[in-house]
Amino acid sequence: MTGNKRRMTAICFIGAVVFLSTVTILGSFWQEAAVETDFSRKNLAPCARYLFGTDWMGRDMFIRTVTGLSMSIRIGLLTAAVSAVIAFFLGLSAAVMGRFVDGIVTMMIDLVMGVPHMLLLILISFACGKGFWGVTAGIAFTHWASLARLIRGEVLQLKESQYIKIAEKLGKSRFYIAFFHMAPNLAPQFVTGLILMFPHAILHEASITFLGFGLSPEKPAIGIILSESMKYLAMGKWWLALFPGLFLVLVVLMFHCAGQAVCRMIDPGSAHE
Amino acid sequence: MKFKCQEGIEYSSTLLFLVLFDFMEKFLMKGWMRLSKFKRRPMAAAVLAAILFASGISGCQKGENRIESQETAAQAASETKGKGPGDGKTEAGMDVEAKDSVIVVMGPSSEPEAGFDPAYGWGAGEHVHEPLIQSTLTVTTKDLRIDYDLATDMKVSEDGLTWTVTIRDDVKFTDGEALDAGDVAFTYNTLRDTSSVNDFTMLKEAAALDDTTVEFRLNRPYSIWPYTMAITGIVPEHAYGPDYGRNPIGSGRYIMKQWDKGQQVIFEANPDYYGEAPKMKRVTILFMDEDAAYAAALSGQVDLAYTSAAYSDQTVDGYHLFSCETVDNRGFNLPAIPAGEADENGMALGNDFTSDIGVRRAINLAIDREAMIENVLNGHGTAAYSVCDKMPWYNPAAKTEYDPDMAEAILEESGWRKGADGIREKNGRKAEFALLYPAGDSVRQALAAETANQLSEFGIQVDIEGAGWDTAYDRAQSTPLMWGWGAHTPMELYNIYHTKPDGAYAEYSPYRNEAVDRAMDQALESGNLEESYELWKEAQWNGTTGITQDGDLPWIWLVNIDHLYWVKDGLQVAEQKLHPHGHGWSIVNNVDQWTWNWN
Repeated sequence: MTGNKRRMTAICFIGAVVFLSTVTILGSFWQEAAVETDFSRKNLAPCARYLFGTDWMGRDMFIRTVTGLSMSIRIGLLTAAVSAVIAFFLGLSAAVMGRFVDGIVTMMIDLVMGVPHMLLLILISFACGKGFWGVTAGIAFTHWASLARLIRGEVLQLKESQYIKIAEKLGKSRFYIAFFHMAPNLAPQFVTGLILMFPHAILHEASITFLGFGLSPEKPAIGIILSESMKYLAMGKWWLALFPGLFLVLVVLMFHCAGQAVCRMIDPGSAHE
Repeated sequence: MKFKCQEGIEYSSTLLFLVLFDFMEKFLMKGWMRLSKFKRRPMAAAVLAAILFASGISGCQKGENRIESQETAAQAASETKGKGPGDGKTEAGMDVEAKDSVIVVMGPSSEPEAGFDPAYGWGAGEHVHEPLIQSTLTVTTKDLRIDYDLATDMKVSEDGLTWTVTIRDDVKFTDGEALDAGDVAFTYNTLRDTSSVNDFTMLKEAAALDDTTVEFRLNRPYSIWPYTMAITGIVPEHAYGPDYGRNPIGSGRYIMKQWDKGQQVIFEANPDYYGEAPKMKRVTILFMDEDAAYAAALSGQVDLAYTSAAYSDQTVDGYHLFSCETVDNRGFNLPAIPAGEADENGMALGNDFTSDIGVRRAINLAIDREAMIENVLNGHGTAAYSVCDKMPWYNPAAKTEYDPDMAEAILEESGWRKGADGIREKNGRKAEFALLYPAGDSVRQALAAETANQLSEFGIQVDIEGAGWDTAYDRAQSTPLMWGWGAHTPMELYNIYHTKPDGAYAEYSPYRNEAVDRAMDQALESGNLEESYELWKEAQWNGTTGITQDGDLPWIWLVNIDHLYWVKDGLQVAEQKLHPHGHGWSIVNNVDQWTWNWN
C-alpha cells in the first residue's frame, strides 16, 4: 500500500513540475506574441486556432494567459525565495538569539499578520512605485511572516531536544548549533513551506494586478486579463473571463499538489497517515 | 428584473473573484496547518476574511441602494407619462399622449463633483457644454459661430480691450428676481477670482453701466471672448454662496429639481423661460459605468444611454445606435527638439528620434486613418488632421492623405535605412520610440497599438506603455503620448502650439515657431471674429510655415471619435452640433428640443 502511495506521490509531483515548467518556459518564449495586436482577428470565440478566443484588440488569449501565468510563476519564484530567506533568518534568530530578539521578531510577525494582507500589499507596492518591481517588492515583503513563525516554533522545539542540549554542554557556540545542528533538521519544513508559498504569491500577484495597482495594461498579467474581461461579461463574452480564471486555478492547484507531494516525500512520517 | 440582474452581475462578479481568491487562500491554509505542528489558526486569515465579508456586504448594500433609487427615478419619470417605460407591450399599443420626459445615462465622470456652479467647471470646465440651468450671454451655433442668448448686441473697442454687451431686460431668475447687468458683472468678476478650471486671466474687470449694459475691460486683446461668453452661465448675485453648486438658481431652460449624488440629477423645465418653451418637461440624468449603461438599455429602462465602439456591434431591441460626429480627437505629440535640455524643474525635454522633421512627416503619411477607424472604432469615427477639424478656424491645408510610398521615400531621404532586423537605423541609432497612453483608457490603448502596428511596416519600432496622469504630463515632454482634445474655441490651438508666455516652448510638447506664435497673437488682437478665423488658419499654415504636413508638424492627429448612444425608438434627438472632447453633457445641449414620436 505504502509503496503504491509513494509512487502516486512521485507521479503527482513530477506531473505538477512538468506542467508548471512547461507553462513557465512557453510563456517566456511568447513574450512578444502576447502583446501582439491584430485587429483582423478581434473578438473571436474560442476555436481550434485560438483556444481561449481573442479579445477586442485581436490578442490571442491563450498565449496571453500562458504568458501572464508564466510571469506570475516567475514573480512567485522570486518573491517566495526572498520571503523564505527572510523567514529563515528571522525565525532562526528569534529562537537562537535570546528573549529580546525573539520579542522583536514575534512583534514584527504579529504586525505583518495583523494588517490585512491585501492592504499591506497595496501599501508596499504603491510606496515602491507600482509596476513590476512594486508588485515584486510588495509580495516579497509580506509573505515571510507565517513561515517565520513556523520556523521559530520548530526551533523552540528543537532547543529542548537532547542532542542540542548535549551540544551546548560540549561548548559549541549558538551559531554553530543553529547552522550545523538545527538547520538540517528544519530543511523539510523549510522546503515544503517554500513551495506552498508560491500559490499564495501567485494569487496575490493576480489580485493586485486585478485591482490595477500593478502593471501597465498592455502587459500580459493574469489579474489584468481578468479585470479587462469583466467589462465584456455583460456582452456575453464569457470566455474572456472563464478560461484564464480556470487556468489560474489549475496552476495554483498544481503548486499545491507539488507542495503536498514534497511534504510527504521529505517527511516520511506523513506517508503513513 | 433584468436591469437589477445585470447590475448585479457587475457586483457579484467582482465579489466572486474576491471570494474565489479568499477560498483558495483558506484552502492553501490547510496545507500550512498540516505542516505546522502547532495547530494554530493564523489570525490574519480570519481578519482578512472578516474584512472581505464586511466590504462585500457594504458593497452589496451600496449597489442595491443605487439600483433602487434609480428605479424610483425611472418610475417617477414614467409616472408623468402614466406608462411603464420598460414595458414593451404598452409601448406598442399605446394611445399616444404626448410623452415629455426623458431618461439619459452618462458616465460617472460626467457628474459635476462640485455641483452646478460655473466657477467650479459646470459648463465652462475641461469639457465645455451649455449649462442648461443658467443662461449665457452668447451661444455657439451648429457651425460653431456665435449667436445671442441673453445678449442683444455686443461691441468691441478699437484696441480690443473693452467689450460692451447689452442684454435683454425681460429675464427673471427662477426665484422671481430679475436678471440685470449687475448679475452678469458679478458672475464674471467671481469667476475671474475663483475659477479653478477655466482661464479668466485676460479679464481685468466687468462692470454694469446700467441695468442692461455690461462692460468687460480686458488685460489683453482677446478676440474670441464671445466663445468664453458662450459657456459661462450667469449666476444671481443675491443668491450666490458656497452652497450654490448644490442649489443652483439660474434663468435657463431647466430648473434642477433633485440631485442624488453619485446617482442621478432631475431637471424640470423652467415655466418662465424667456425663449421658446422646452418640449421636454422633465430630464433625468443617471450616472452609470459603461457596462451598466448597456445593461440599462438592454432592460429598456432608459431612453438614451451612452456607449462606446466596443459595444457597437451589439444590437438592443427597441433601440438604435445613434452616432454623433465630434471634434473629440485623438492624436499624439512628437517632441520637436532633440533630447538634452531640461526645463526649470529639471524635467527632461525633447526626443532625438522625433526631433527629425523627416521622421515626423513620414509618420503623418504612414498612418492609414481609415484602417484605424475601421479596426479600433468599428467604423465610428472620422479621420483627424488637426485639433480643430471642421471648425470655422480649421485650415484645410492640414489634410494629409495616406501615402506609404512617400513616407518610405522621406525616411530614405532623411537617412533612415533598413537594418538587418527590418528596423531602420541612422548613424547607429534605431528608429524607435515609446508611445504612452493613459492606463485606464482602452480606446487610446487600442489606438496606440494600431499606430505601432502601422508604423512597424515602415521599419519604425514603437513600444506602447500605459501611464497614469500623475506622470504622463511630465513624461510627454520627452515621449509621445496619446492625447485627446477638441473644444469649441480656437484657444485650443493656442494652448497646444503657442509658446508658453513665460517659457521657452509650448506647454504640452516642446515646440516653438515664432511665425505661428505671431499669427495667433494677431488673431487674438483682431477686432473682428471673421477676420480672426483667417488668422487662426494662417497660424496653422501660411504658405511657408506652420504646423501642418509641410510645416513643423509637432503633433500627429489620428481620428475624431464619434460619440455613440443607444436611443430608444421614437425618441427624436434634435440635430447636434459637433461634440467637443468629453462624452458627457454635450448630448443634452438641446434636450429642450427633443421630442417623442410614435409612428
